[in-house]
Amino acid sequence: MSTNIIKMSEALADIMPQEYKDLVERSTYGKVDRGWRDIGESKDLIETHSLCAGCPESLAFRYIMSSLPNPEDTVMVGSTGCTSLVFPHIAVHNIHSLFGNQNAVASGLKRTLALRFPDKTKDVVVLAGDGATVDIGLDMTLQSWFRQEKITTICFDNEFYGNTGGQESGLMQKQFVAKMAPAGKQFDKVNLPQLAIDSGCHYVAMLTTSKPMRVEKVIRNAIEVAREIGPTYVQIYTPCILELGKQSHEGIDEMKGAEKKGERFEFFEYRTDQAGELIDKNDAERKVRKDAKKEARKKAKETAKA
Amino acid sequence: MRRRINFRMSGLGGQGVVTSAHVLATAAAKENKYAISNPFFGAEKRMAPSESYCRIGDEPIYDRGELVYPDVIMIFHPHVITLNKSYTMPFYSGIKEGGIVIINSTIELLSDEHKEELEKKNVRHMNVAATNIAKEVAGTELASNMAMLGALLGITDIVTLESMDLAIQDRFGKKYVASGGTATLDEAIKKKFAKKEQLLKKNLETVQVAYKVGKEWASTLKELVLA
Amino acid sequence: MSTAKSLIGTKNKMGQTIVDIEDFFNDKLPKEQHFMTGSEIVKEAIKRASVDMSISYPITPQSEAAALVGELWVEGYVKGYFRGEHEFAVMSQCAGAAFGGARVFTTTSGPGTLRAYENFPMWSGSRLPIMLCLMVRGINTPLSIQPDTIEMGMLLDTGMLMWHAENAQELFDYLLMGYIVAEQPDIHLPIAVACDGFFVSHTKEMVEMVSKDYCIPPYDPYRAPVPVMDMETAPMRIMRDPFVMKSNYISYMTHASWQLEIRGAIERSRKYTKRLMGGSLIEVENGDADIIICSSGTAISQGREAIRLMKAKGMDVGLVKIKTIRPFPDDEVRKALENAKLIVVPELNISGWMAKEIKSCIDRNDRVLVGPHVAGGMTMPPEVLMEEIEKEIALRKVA
Repeated sequence: MSTNIIKMSEALADIMPQEYKDLVERSTYGKVDRGWRDIGESKDLIETHSLCAGCPESLAFRYIMSSLPNPEDTVMVGSTGCTSLVFPHIAVHNIHSLFGNQNAVASGLKRTLALRFPDKTKDVVVLAGDGATVDIGLDMTLQSWFRQEKITTICFDNEFYGNTGGQESGLMQKQFVAKMAPAGKQFDKVNLPQLAIDSGCHYVAMLTTSKPMRVEKVIRNAIEVAREIGPTYVQIYTPCILELGKQSHEGIDEMKGAEKKGERFEFFEYRTDQAGELIDKNDAERKVRKDAKKEARKKAKETAKA
Repeated sequence: MRRRINFRMSGLGGQGVVTSAHVLATAAAKENKYAISNPFFGAEKRMAPSESYCRIGDEPIYDRGELVYPDVIMIFHPHVITLNKSYTMPFYSGIKEGGIVIINSTIELLSDEHKEELEKKNVRHMNVAATNIAKEVAGTELASNMAMLGALLGITDIVTLESMDLAIQDRFGKKYVASGGTATLDEAIKKKFAKKEQLLKKNLETVQVAYKVGKEWASTLKELVLA
Repeated sequence: MSTAKSLIGTKNKMGQTIVDIEDFFNDKLPKEQHFMTGSEIVKEAIKRASVDMSISYPITPQSEAAALVGELWVEGYVKGYFRGEHEFAVMSQCAGAAFGGARVFTTTSGPGTLRAYENFPMWSGSRLPIMLCLMVRGINTPLSIQPDTIEMGMLLDTGMLMWHAENAQELFDYLLMGYIVAEQPDIHLPIAVACDGFFVSHTKEMVEMVSKDYCIPPYDPYRAPVPVMDMETAPMRIMRDPFVMKSNYISYMTHASWQLEIRGAIERSRKYTKRLMGGSLIEVENGDADIIICSSGTAISQGREAIRLMKAKGMDVGLVKIKTIRPFPDDEVRKALENAKLIVVPELNISGWMAKEIKSCIDRNDRVLVGPHVAGGMTMPPEVLMEEIEKEIALRKVA
């Protein structure tokens, strides 16, 4: 999308909603090196959310939206679940169709956008819960990776079906007691990051959303590798405070606990050699831009002093 | 000759039963006759029962699917009769009054009961050594279906040998859409011959030799064929 | 018909001249005759259909057609093509492609149709004008790979347009016409063009067509009544709260009015379809006869043969063929059957959905003979059809 497209007609400007005016005047479409630090200084690409107060998923959504390297040319594909309650508030095109088919929709979409816009970069990012990714949609998740679709798959792992009231999911921990697992879950948490590696993903990461800089880096890497090389997978712990019986402010602590050394969400990152090279190259270029910016700021300061 | 002639061909997977119906219909279409052909198969397997149908006429043909009431029945393999390897049992079920049955066999396979049933409907049957003719003329039993078509033409003159030649060229002379099993056999038969022209020539020669056999048999009949 | 006019007369990358859809069916362009199977006809139609993306999955009897479309991709006539993992995924992949602005083609049969089923109302709900060629077959159990139209009865209320081709010629015509009608901005719905598996897909017959040097205009996604998901238009916040969060009148109202609009679009499609199909959604032959055979697909072909047999016996039987199942040509059928004393509805399925459709739009519907039926791929010989009609005549004492 050319950022010109969101510009308002002057004749209609006075009747446009404030949130749209903000988007036109203060959003970061087209900005090079976007990141979580833009939050608060610019208009977010997520207007609000329809989730529980304090839900870590809302946090993850904000960080991800601020970290998309190319939101003006990004289309997101969601699935049914709590995430589908947020997508209507997102200022990039997004598709919700059925439960579990997100990677199939994304495959058809990505190939079509590549056909229609051969001279542009159009990123396709899938964002769905663990039920959609690992249970009902597992075959389509894996098959899209086998086919080397150039898409990023993000899984919000809250370790059960949150939106339907806390039923067992494949990513739930063993022995955890939940609805439909009244005697405790009988098998291990599915190791999807390993399956992703074995299925041909070029970049795989597991993390929580407690550290925004980490989320930013991971999302950027995942999207840039998917764009150039092939499928990538990111699994983020977004605990369901409601079903875990936590207070609104306790989400962060829950995530911090789960990412400690040896815990199930300890930070994990995998990159193929090819992906590693690309990430290093992109990081180096980013550093050059950052240094140049710093230098320019310094010079400006000095000029001002002089 | 009847205004519409319905052909039912029964044999075993790999014998070219489906190909025969398609080639025959194509030949008729080349003569601007109305023609349609279609196969009937379950799971596509070598040696499993295979059946195909061809309808030719001088007015538009709407009838589809399995041919329940054929004028001509062609049996490509003795097992159709002896082992009931057929979708239609007995093999002659539904045959129309005054119809024709052509059987690829060197010996008489019909029981007295079969003969009696055919007799009742005034149906004539002919044994033709199609596989032998194929081996002798084309050097491969894969051309048995061509011999069967040749015999059929000799008996009925339903299409000319020239049209048959054109239809064979259509089927084997250019890229053809076929399922895996058929494509493999196509490859096998192509390998038998150094050049495509040779394959086409041998196929046609097989048709011609069997045509004479068919003609000869027809000349022994007292009444007109398919009157 | 309104299409991207500016492209008419220009050439595409394959050297095909883009022509108005109507020129495919009038005498402006030279025609060719081809003796081909239904599967090969699908390839010929799609070659001329400016298709962007096709996704396929094997299931008899549509596998051959789906594979042939793959060859079109290699040849360059179709821009994108791949095999999906199962029909549910394939139809979702088609949705993704259509959301992204592609003209999409896919095919399936029987069990595949049901495997994919959840996608169809989603397609229509999302207003995706995807072309689905259905080569119908029996649905388990017991297993049958042969023709049976029961899946069409199961698709009646998915919000898709559905047409039924009687033979390979109509299959060719409908695939091309279908895109043009389905993509009209005031329609913009998926379309299922059905034909009977094997009886059409695997049957060789003569078909007339415009040369492959011509094609219909490409799809213009920016004429769609809903935004294309390509970030080439401004993203907007869709709603303040997702409807699913609002268990109140506004959410019910939204769903109901959106679904009503889809039904409205199906109705509106009549005017475009009639124009392309020569003025009517039905075909009537000898409509003044007391006895009328009324159905669709190859059941009608068998009816034509039966009529011929009965005529030879001095019986006067007419025929009404239904070309579009959705929209169902209620008014035309009612009018055509007004004076019939006996309406025979032969069907290739066990449920008799067609008879129900006909019964629901005519008065004095006890005139309908529900049947005869064959199912699971069984042939309906014209002789049997005639026998059934003769029995019914005797029973009802129709003159």
